[in-house]
Amino acid sequence: MSADSKSHFWSTDTLAVLVALLAALLVRVGILQTIPW
Amino acid sequence: MASSSISNPAPNFVSRTALSTKPIVELLPGIVLLAVVGYGGKFIEHSIAAYGKAHHLVLPNIEYVLWAILIGLAISNTVGVPAIFRTGVATYEFWLKAGIVLLGARFLLGDISRLGGLSLALIAIELVLALSFMTYLGRAFHLKPKLISLLAIGSSICGVSAIIAAQGAIDADEEDSSYAIAAILALGAISLFVFPVIGHALHLSDRAYGIWAGLAVDNTAEATAAGALYSDAAGKVAVLAKTCRNATIGFIVLGYAIYWASKGKAAVVENKAAFLWRKFPKFILGFLLISLLATVGFFTKPQILALGNLSRWAFLLTFAGVGLRTNLRELSKQGARPFIVGAVGEVAIALITLGLVYGADHLYHL
Repeated sequence: MSADSKSHFWSTDTLAVLVALLAALLVRVGILQTIPW
Repeated sequence: MASSSISNPAPNFVSRTALSTKPIVELLPGIVLLAVVGYGGKFIEHSIAAYGKAHHLVLPNIEYVLWAILIGLAISNTVGVPAIFRTGVATYEFWLKAGIVLLGARFLLGDISRLGGLSLALIAIELVLALSFMTYLGRAFHLKPKLISLLAIGSSICGVSAIIAAQGAIDADEEDSSYAIAAILALGAISLFVFPVIGHALHLSDRAYGIWAGLAVDNTAEATAAGALYSDAAGKVAVLAKTCRNATIGFIVLGYAIYWASKGKAAVVENKAAFLWRKFPKFILGFLLISLLATVGFFTKPQILALGNLSRWAFLLTFAGVGLRTNLRELSKQGARPFIVGAVGEVAIALITLGLVYGADHLYHL
């Protein structure tokens, strides 16, 4: 993992964390309410 | 997926170019393919269960994880993955990391410190034994010294990414990296089918099996899939154990970089702290942050359920990617000796870690 986390900011790791945090925020504020599985 | 380039990453046809440098339009076809293959797996599992129920038949329950991987394997090994899809399929690693971060919501920090602490203790033992054994085996088979280092790092820590991280640090040949990656990927694919069978035969608990899969399966995507194939709970634990293992990557690669630099065969590491930070998997911090938020009650129970389901969807795309990027023909071209060393080493590591987990299970009742 994270071999790809080179010095540039927009690595896959950083993007994945930002997207996941954004999704968590959307769930928290109720924009994403129920996610079926 | 970044700037580290390997001219021939063997079965991994996916070039490891930075996700962010690709326009969304270029990524979309492959992402849609991941979704179709992944959902196809889920659809088949559901259809078989519904058919069995409607006709009062007891049919074997084959998890969507396996179906998604099998569909992906069938595509990549028959018609192949057309070029238009490849860039998007490469995002499977992004979905894996996003899924792991979101999975943090299903762990309280107390669970992480308990299971993670135990995992780290077992990982420390596994690392020493795996690195020593792989080095001994590589020498016995007269492999090139840097290929031995790459195989040892790949099989003891973190599969493909660890090999790529180490390649630059120890100035290894790209050809050696390709050999090591091919061996690790082939063995990862085999472990997907073998581990659940052994786990069920030994009646391992979800936790014990999850820790074993996290300790013994090298690539994070395969470790996640091997865990999920056993059960949802085992998949969760496998991700935690594997994430702990990933956290050690910087230290091990740094150790090898210093070793090869002392022999004058790699660049000297000037700033060790910066080196460690650069190699540290940043998504682990995201995983811990979400877990912290869940622990302090930032999310309600239904919200945690929603985040857990989002994580499952992200993993679904990952599992499709595991099948789609595995080309068995390409794997077989990579030469027998690295594969034999990898295979013997992996079997030994799987047995050692199984023994460790068995012992820990008896002592701590996992």
